Amino acid sequence: MKTLSRLMLAVAAAAGSAIASPASAEAVKVGIIAPFSGPSAIFGQYWRAAMDAYRAINGDTAGGQPIDYVYRDLPGPNPAAAKALAQELIIKEHVSYLGGIVYTPNALAIAPLAEEARVPTVIFNAAACSVLQQSKYLVRVSYTLPQVSGPIAKYALDQKLMNIVTMVADFGPGIDADNAFTAQFTAGGGTIADHERIPLSTTDFTPFAQSAKAKSPQAIYAFMPGGPSLFGLIKAYQNNGLAQAGIRFLGSDMDERDLVALGDSAVGLESGSFYSASHDSDVNRAFVSKLPPDIHANPASVEGYDGLHVIYKMIEASKGRSDPDVAINAAKGLAWESPRGPVSISPATRDIVQNVYIREVMKVATGVINRELRTFPAQPDNCTKK
Amino acid sequence: MVELALLIVGALAFFVFPDDLGLMTSIVIMTLFVLSLSLVLGQAGIPTIGHAALYGSGAYAAGLWALHVTAEPLTGLAAGGLAGAIIAALSGLLLLRTRGLTLVMLSIAFAQVLFEIANKARGVTGGDDGLSGLTVSPVLGIFRFDFYGRTGYWYSLIVLVLSYALLRRLVASPFGLTCRGIRSDKTRMLAIGGHVYGALMTVYVTGGVFAGIAGALTAQTAQVVGLNSLSFQQSADALVMLVIGGTWTLAGALIGAPVFMVVHHIASTASPYHWLVVIGLLLILTVLYLPKGLIYLIPAGLERLRDRQGTHE
Amino acid sequence: MNLVSLLLNILLDGVAYAMILFMISVGLSISLGLMRVVNMAHGAFAMLGGYITIAVMNQMKVPFEVAVIAAIVATAIISIPLETFLIRKVYGRNELDQALLTIGIAFVVIAGVNSVTGANISVIKLPYYLNGSIDLGFRSLPTDRLVVIVLGLVVTVALWFFVERSAFGVKLRAAVDNAAMAEAVKINTSRLYVISFALGAALAALGGIAGASLLPMEPTYALKYLVLFLAVVAVGGHGTLFGSFLAAVILGIIDTATKYLAPEYSSIAFFATMLIVLAVRPQGLLGANGAKS
Repeated sequence: MKTLSRLMLAVAAAAGSAIASPASAEAVKVGIIAPFSGPSAIFGQYWRAAMDAYRAINGDTAGGQPIDYVYRDLPGPNPAAAKALAQELIIKEHVSYLGGIVYTPNALAIAPLAEEARVPTVIFNAAACSVLQQSKYLVRVSYTLPQVSGPIAKYALDQKLMNIVTMVADFGPGIDADNAFTAQFTAGGGTIADHERIPLSTTDFTPFAQSAKAKSPQAIYAFMPGGPSLFGLIKAYQNNGLAQAGIRFLGSDMDERDLVALGDSAVGLESGSFYSASHDSDVNRAFVSKLPPDIHANPASVEGYDGLHVIYKMIEASKGRSDPDVAINAAKGLAWESPRGPVSISPATRDIVQNVYIREVMKVATGVINRELRTFPAQPDNCTKK
Repeated sequence: MVELALLIVGALAFFVFPDDLGLMTSIVIMTLFVLSLSLVLGQAGIPTIGHAALYGSGAYAAGLWALHVTAEPLTGLAAGGLAGAIIAALSGLLLLRTRGLTLVMLSIAFAQVLFEIANKARGVTGGDDGLSGLTVSPVLGIFRFDFYGRTGYWYSLIVLVLSYALLRRLVASPFGLTCRGIRSDKTRMLAIGGHVYGALMTVYVTGGVFAGIAGALTAQTAQVVGLNSLSFQQSADALVMLVIGGTWTLAGALIGAPVFMVVHHIASTASPYHWLVVIGLLLILTVLYLPKGLIYLIPAGLERLRDRQGTHE
Repeated sequence: MNLVSLLLNILLDGVAYAMILFMISVGLSISLGLMRVVNMAHGAFAMLGGYITIAVMNQMKVPFEVAVIAAIVATAIISIPLETFLIRKVYGRNELDQALLTIGIAFVVIAGVNSVTGANISVIKLPYYLNGSIDLGFRSLPTDRLVVIVLGLVVTVALWFFVERSAFGVKLRAAVDNAAMAEAVKINTSRLYVISFALGAALAALGGIAGASLLPMEPTYALKYLVLFLAVVAVGGHGTLFGSFLAAVILGIIDTATKYLAPEYSSIAFFATMLIVLAVRPQGLLGANGAKS
């Protein structure tokens, strides 16, 4: 009798698992929400190219599961549209995972959906500290301002730059950057001569550069979003004699796209960031080689690469699509060698822990690059819990 | 009756596209916003490209109401409508004594200044991170805002239909006639003793109420309010939607907003890059060959609408 | 910095910014005032000026000066079919129709540029004599800014002369005031319109190139800065040359002054100024009272 019941249990179990697991390897669907049009189209284009690069290196399947990608265009911060797109992807397209998202308001609108529908979501960019607290199914692979600004402040102190003017964009990330830098810097004995808050719509940075120069600091700490704003600020720094006056430039990023536009004039500018295209590792070289010629290796593209990596690992762990909790738990504590360097996802915050590098712009045969000077290893996100 | 047709079309859409409720709710809300613009621009001839100031004010008002006062949605709608009216009154003081390019530029400037104020007041509005953390309690205590967006959709649709009914009556009334008279020839209206400024203010504030209600709907269904609701882009999009549908009758908004948003959605999904070319060509063709908008392609409805909706000779 | 150098800074930077604004806006003022057309595609012409300069320098390896001239001429030529086949159809129609048609054109231009260059910014490589800065004693001023100031003044004077004093200008103003009458005295109005439009586009292109250090070339340029240009024209008084000049100077200086003195409010300053001026004088600073707006 015992043998028969055990046999029946075994048959039942086998039958049960045969019914529960997918009969064939049906594709897992991943929805990517990003700007593919409009002024931020860079993000969507670069992410897509980076994801293609990842697949070229790591194959098209995750743990044997084929993947279908569904892309939706969200050109700017628009919480209502973000929510509608996420709803469409989850309800109509039946995606099991979401990825992408540049802007914080969009992330905040999508978070409750991810939570209620239990859809693991990898945030490729939206960097505000408040985002990950909105749902336990969110993971982030970009950075936070406190994470990156702290090391820059430490570097400034080490370099004996004790008197600094901060010049930041007057919006969330800029203000976060200013606060984080200031906290670390003043704690180490430095003084901030002035906090300049520069409106995002600014085209003429000369007044801000002149005002900064008039305070005679030893350096300026700058944060502007990459593109025309950062370009304009750097040009103003160069054209108003700040470098000649011995005022150093410490940026919170020096996007490789802007380096191309700046050319040789950028040599000597220092910055802190989590990724440099010139990072000396095999993983990075493989990544860069797989990018098409019009897509630069820069922080945006590496976000796409690492974002897909986390999605792959979640798919592998849940062997298909049916287990969001298993997937998220697999993401927590995940560690891997990214093109940026060694990274991991903090189990407590679900945010990325990564190296932050201080770089200097240098001229090489192929043009100008960010050369890594110093590494601050394994920086946590440094978001204070509210 | 257009309202009945609207309800039927809306109901059909609900059953035919049950998985697209998020998009359809946005379409319904935009239609209401464009309707309010149709009142202000189409009926009274006030050329504003800053209408989002009223919409965004309604959105933030409803959001703040939900956060700090009560999560009950119907009072939130009232809060949104009131905010729209107040901001309209304020901007009306500035705008309505001018006309033409001056009015256009003033409307843009006012909306920009409001945008920057909202951006700076991070403590209140959340700044560029947006106003989040809103909860909205069930409509009438019964209908919970569900994940699929079913409640949100019906809620918005009913508000749209009721608003359209109200506005249609307003437009067909003697007051509506006054507005259209002002649009055609302000000088003549003044000459025949019309209180032009008062009429303009009334219609503009009314437009503000409905724009504010549309904003409130967006705040309640998305549960995050972004600065984009106050942006120039938002105003410009609404204008394009109205022009495509037709500015000369109120019902133009009912065509323009859905057409624009559906085409945008399809073009965006197929090739987001080329959306700009599509909309650019659409604009050019509409202005050149369909100046009265798509609504004039509906011959049967045309006659009835022309008589009922208040059009221009 | 002390008060004197602060004031000098504000003046210098304000006027430089103003000249760039003026150079680009002046073409818009012409088409609005002389031809009564709201041309929202104006920013697109400025953008084309910059992009064609870059393309010509990179593809054909010609020096900067040649590229600039080629770009200005090319932009003027491009504007001709646009005027003849599209914009001419909306002369006399209401401002909204004109605005929307020209916005549609701007969209198409943006999409075209986007497909060629991608969403990055493109930089015009200035020749050696325009790089660097000039030491004015109390501070340095980038050389290209100084050139822009001088250029702006030269353009103002040249335009004034051309429009107010030349035979062409007289005919143009006649045609605008009363087309039928002008035709009756054998003034070829269509040719006048085309030439004026092309002139406006050429000026926009020049302004775009001159202002490229401040307003860098990117596909969304055409509409991104349009509001600034419209503001200059509206505040100055539609169609008046000196009005636009004055408006550019006032807006430029106030914007710059706020950046120095109260940077938190500098984003509001530009539009608040526009609000105040237009509220007090709806016809613009130098606009005629009761003029058709």
